[in-house]
Amino acid sequence: MAGKIPGGALPAAVGNREAVAEQRRRFIRQDFMLVCLLFAVLLLIPALPFVKGWMAAQAVLVIVYIIAAQGVSILTGYTGLVTVGHGGFLAIGAYTAALLSKHFGADVLICVVAGGAMSALIGVALGLIFLRLSGAFMAIGTLGFAFFVGTIVNNVKVFEGREGISLPPNHVFGLPIGDIGFYYVAVLLLGLMTLFIHSLVRSGVGRALKALRDSEKAAQSYGVNRWFYRTLAFSISAGITGVAGALNGLVTRFVSAEVYSDIWYSVDMLVAAIVGGTSMLMGPFIGGVFVAMLPFFLEKLADFSFILKGAVLIAILMFAPAGVGGLIAKPFQAMRRRRLAEAGARAVAGAGVAESVAQEGARNG
Amino acid sequence: MASLLRCEGVTVRFGGVLACDAISLEVEQGKIVGLIGPNGAGKTTLFNVLTRFEQHDAGHIYYRDRLIDHCHPHQIISFGVARTFQNINLFANQSTLDNILVGAHRLIGNPFSNLYSLPSARRNEAALVRHAMEIAAMLHLSDALDTPVRNLPYGYQKRVELARALASRPEIILLDEPVAGCNDEETAELRGIVQRINREFGITMLMVEHDMSMVMNVCDHIYVITFGANLANGTPAEIRANAQVISAYLGEQVEE
Repeated sequence: MAGKIPGGALPAAVGNREAVAEQRRRFIRQDFMLVCLLFAVLLLIPALPFVKGWMAAQAVLVIVYIIAAQGVSILTGYTGLVTVGHGGFLAIGAYTAALLSKHFGADVLICVVAGGAMSALIGVALGLIFLRLSGAFMAIGTLGFAFFVGTIVNNVKVFEGREGISLPPNHVFGLPIGDIGFYYVAVLLLGLMTLFIHSLVRSGVGRALKALRDSEKAAQSYGVNRWFYRTLAFSISAGITGVAGALNGLVTRFVSAEVYSDIWYSVDMLVAAIVGGTSMLMGPFIGGVFVAMLPFFLEKLADFSFILKGAVLIAILMFAPAGVGGLIAKPFQAMRRRRLAEAGARAVAGAGVAESVAQEGARNG
Repeated sequence: MASLLRCEGVTVRFGGVLACDAISLEVEQGKIVGLIGPNGAGKTTLFNVLTRFEQHDAGHIYYRDRLIDHCHPHQIISFGVARTFQNINLFANQSTLDNILVGAHRLIGNPFSNLYSLPSARRNEAALVRHAMEIAAMLHLSDALDTPVRNLPYGYQKRVELARALASRPEIILLDEPVAGCNDEETAELRGIVQRINREFGITMLMVEHDMSMVMNVCDHIYVITFGANLANGTPAEIRANAQVISAYLGEQVEE
């Protein structure tokens, strides 16, 4: 019989698997609490005395960028695919919502769900078409998609080209909502998207996506179906961006080809995703706010904002590839390591292991 | 004993090169089977065919008498066929625990209930994490659970490969040069682990390996291939005494 397995020890040996489990849970909790805090602030903002309706509408535009950044970051962060064409999905969401609102007077919530669903559906098709692309080819492919959508909305009659579609006032459950009401709808949707991503990234699906990104061969050997998971990621990413698009169209109550064939939307969304990073849930919040607020601060120097965006992007890629979210996560991770090292003083809890695996073996054999 | 994995007349051509020429082998359940041969003999090609990363031009592969000629690489794990990689193919930036958990991917259940973290998925996930930690403890990886595997010493990474394979609850593990690049100490350690997995948990192994001490000491049965074809097979003792095998490895003895 083979005896005890000899094993070396790491310099900073950490021995307690219970402690590892606890620290994992703690990090997820901290990450989640931070975002909850943010939501509390978002919900309280309209109660402030100096807040006016138009500010709420501007705030929705920021939320649109945050949700769009969440959508893009699913793709860039978890599958490692670069997309410069998500403006196309933004347009699909916006036009789906606009047409439903204009022709059927549909409820805001229905418009948003339909915008997300339509975008996700087209995401499936596109995901399948782009299945074999990666790296720069993927970037060019998605760019082509954005141009494609831009051309369609410019020229197909129902989308009314550059004239644009003006939308009737928004309503939820039959009740008309103003800018403040719409703001709450947007915060609610942002909350739902954040919860969904929170759930996705710590599930077996998030793990499979990251595995596929890091080593396709190894992931496949352990049963990760490449086309299913890549298409799923593409579709989820497209769907979330579609929700952002629907909100964007409805809040401005106007969609036109001039806006949605603009390639800068796609670029801005990618910048937001990269600046925020995927290390923490709040990453896309940071990136979205950065991209959306920059033009406000540089009102007189609008062109300068492109230069600044580019400079920040380069700086992030060079010095903090995990994004600003990654920088914020660092102290938390250090704390986690320190706690683990302290826990390492306790004994290794390894008893009962052999038995359980033996049972597995017996069941299989 | 029943045969678990079997291939008959597997032939693979790369253009004009005949990488595998009608190779047959059979892995009995519960055994450790070695696959050896000089460099360029076709071991890796055959291994890739068995793990479905390469398609063979002729011949058949069976798992438990079920034809798996047309399975995709991600499908064979569902029968219980796991593998390790020669040059360590881990998810470098992810922690040891996450790496092991990917091994358990086939046990995550419905991906959509996972997406929404439904209660059933959460319970299942907790069980998978517990099982992964037990495997880690058994392979002395508990102190590295939270560490990104790229920061781990070589011997640790080799053990993470094995732990990931075990997490899939396999019936058979295909080992691609499990001790390649290891020093004597690491080799001895991995040998102990491989034997222990086989004896205690009844997991069958097929091992491609160059380290003769490893192969001769661990394997129950050895297949030798050379120039893409079967040369011999038998117990380690038989192989050691086989004149053809010796000449394949060392060349013909020149008469003075």
